[in-house]
Amino acid sequence: MSQIELKKLRKVFGENIEAVKDLDLVIEEGEFVVLVGPSGCGKTTTLRMIAGFEEPTSGEVVIDGEMVNDRDPKDRNLGMVFQSHALFPHKTVYQNIEFGPRMKKIPLEDRKKRVEEVAEMVHITPLLNKLPSQCSGGEAQRAALARTLITNPGSFLLDEPLSSLDAKLRREMRAEIDRLHQELKKTFVYVTHDQEEAMTLADRIVVMRAGEIEQEGIPMEIYNDPSSYFVADFFGSPSMNLLDGNIRKGSSGESFVFEGYGLSLDLPRLDNLVEGEHCVGIRPESISVGDSDNGLELSVSLVEPMGKDTLLYFSHSAERPLIAVVEGSTKIQSGDLVVVQFPKDSIYVFDSDGIRVK
Amino acid sequence: MAYYLKRWRFPFFRYLVLGIWTLIAGFPIFWIAATSFKPAHQWTSWPVVYVSNEPTMENYREVWGIREKTVEEASQTYEKGKDARPESVSMNKAWKAFGNSLLIALIATSLTVAFGTVIAYGVSRFQILSEIRMFQLLMLRMIPPIVVAAPLTLYYTTLNLMDSVTGLVLIYFITTLPYAVWMTKSFIDEVPREIEQAAELLGATRWRTIVEVVFPLIRSGIVATFMFILILTWSEYLMSFILSKVDVVTLPVQLSKYEGSTEGRMYGTQSALAVGITLPLMLIGIFIRKHLVRGFTFGMVKR
Repeated sequence: MSQIELKKLRKVFGENIEAVKDLDLVIEEGEFVVLVGPSGCGKTTTLRMIAGFEEPTSGEVVIDGEMVNDRDPKDRNLGMVFQSHALFPHKTVYQNIEFGPRMKKIPLEDRKKRVEEVAEMVHITPLLNKLPSQCSGGEAQRAALARTLITNPGSFLLDEPLSSLDAKLRREMRAEIDRLHQELKKTFVYVTHDQEEAMTLADRIVVMRAGEIEQEGIPMEIYNDPSSYFVADFFGSPSMNLLDGNIRKGSSGESFVFEGYGLSLDLPRLDNLVEGEHCVGIRPESISVGDSDNGLELSVSLVEPMGKDTLLYFSHSAERPLIAVVEGSTKIQSGDLVVVQFPKDSIYVFDSDGIRVK
Repeated sequence: MAYYLKRWRFPFFRYLVLGIWTLIAGFPIFWIAATSFKPAHQWTSWPVVYVSNEPTMENYREVWGIREKTVEEASQTYEKGKDARPESVSMNKAWKAFGNSLLIALIATSLTVAFGTVIAYGVSRFQILSEIRMFQLLMLRMIPPIVVAAPLTLYYTTLNLMDSVTGLVLIYFITTLPYAVWMTKSFIDEVPREIEQAAELLGATRWRTIVEVVFPLIRSGIVATFMFILILTWSEYLMSFILSKVDVVTLPVQLSKYEGSTEGRMYGTQSALAVGITLPLMLIGIFIRKHLVRGFTFGMVKR
């Protein structure tokens, strides 16, 4: 088990392409941390700096209290799983898994035993004599996991390991990785651009944007209490409804009212709220549909049954349609006018810089 | 109707054009092979003899000495006059040239490919040469060899490299190195870096990684490069002609030596030698085809 600490970590590519900007992060022993963000946000570069494949321009990588900037990747007590699985194509799955212990000159007998153990652990025993090209994507990724597991590293680095798999396999492998983490109780650092993976796997999510940490916290905190427009938009599927508009004082003079796109919404009491250009957000599942006669009447443009839930799309003049989720199936059809309520405690307000107003 | 017409028309014309081209390209090869079996009076006879009606192995015997020839026999043929061959054309010379060519080509090619691969690895992984330098390397090949050949004789005379195996190996090594670097680099570039990094994280040293992971993946590429350069070196004429004459004669140079004092060019014997030069190349060609199929990443990286 290892604790990983990043101190003012910075990486500049070429002359002035700043991939990672003064990143400070402490990853505790046994923690499952997910670095998440859109492509180009510096998450993979950060992971590669932890692994030692990328040299930081400045700052320190500290593992278990020791600065490891000058240490070779193999001396950092890490295991890594790559997006492309990176199995050796000319070696069988068995030889692939055996590679690590063989390099460490572990006797043949022990090696064989260990290979069988880890193969059992990730359920690939029948594949041991196959070549990677004969394995499916999921099988290859399991083999890659086994190859890393066998070296028993203090922490695991996973660089978008599931992004090349199809949706069903991805869910399966996600559960597998979760199980491994619980069994091994090791430190996991996981990079992904998929918010769903981040939400389901992480003990703690670190949201990155343009080389900086935008927000970090436990998954529900990120979901319920986004610190910015970016985070609010990034997490949740379907994503949060975000509307640009104007905020002004209500008639009573105390509360605030949002106006835009023909909507007029009562806002919660927020200490720092002022009048002016703002953006408000509400999660699709927070919008209540047809519960009372008291609310806004909107016309449904599209009904999308998802099985467990149904998505309702409302047409209005925003760039993105307004979406609401209703449980189960519904009799509402496209073209219907329905009464919609926006509970004011579920409304998030962001200022013109995208910072959440609290 | 038009659809069906189109369907057979295109392949038909394609094969027609390719067929004609094959005839044009293949004819000299056929001509050499045919001539090598012709008796002396049919070499340049008119009307043209395409395939001899009295095929003979005499040319091959003459050049390659398939049959052991005694001194008396040799002198007899010489005295007969009709099929007279000058003294300079002895079967030993062809074999000697064959030996020289083989020795020089193998040593030079091995050196080139070994150095080329090492340099290419450096370029591919550590950018030891910038892109411009890589092009400059290739541009070396664009200088007409004759331009450097003359000054080279001066260097070679001073360095005592004229007419030596070492001298030819050296010049072939230098002139083919750019090809080797470029070719092997393209193969190394195709090995995903992540594979090497995975090996590194698993505790392999750089050297083990190269031996266990990189080399097996580029082996086919190295074989292909080796064959390509072997062919270049094997058939090189100009440098060999200028930098060696008496002691170290290579096959292409030997080819130009079949000229009798009275009969002019000895086309039959020349052809027999030419067949001997070409045949190994053809075998290599068949061999290289298998390796040029770049199946060596085995569908490895799934993006």
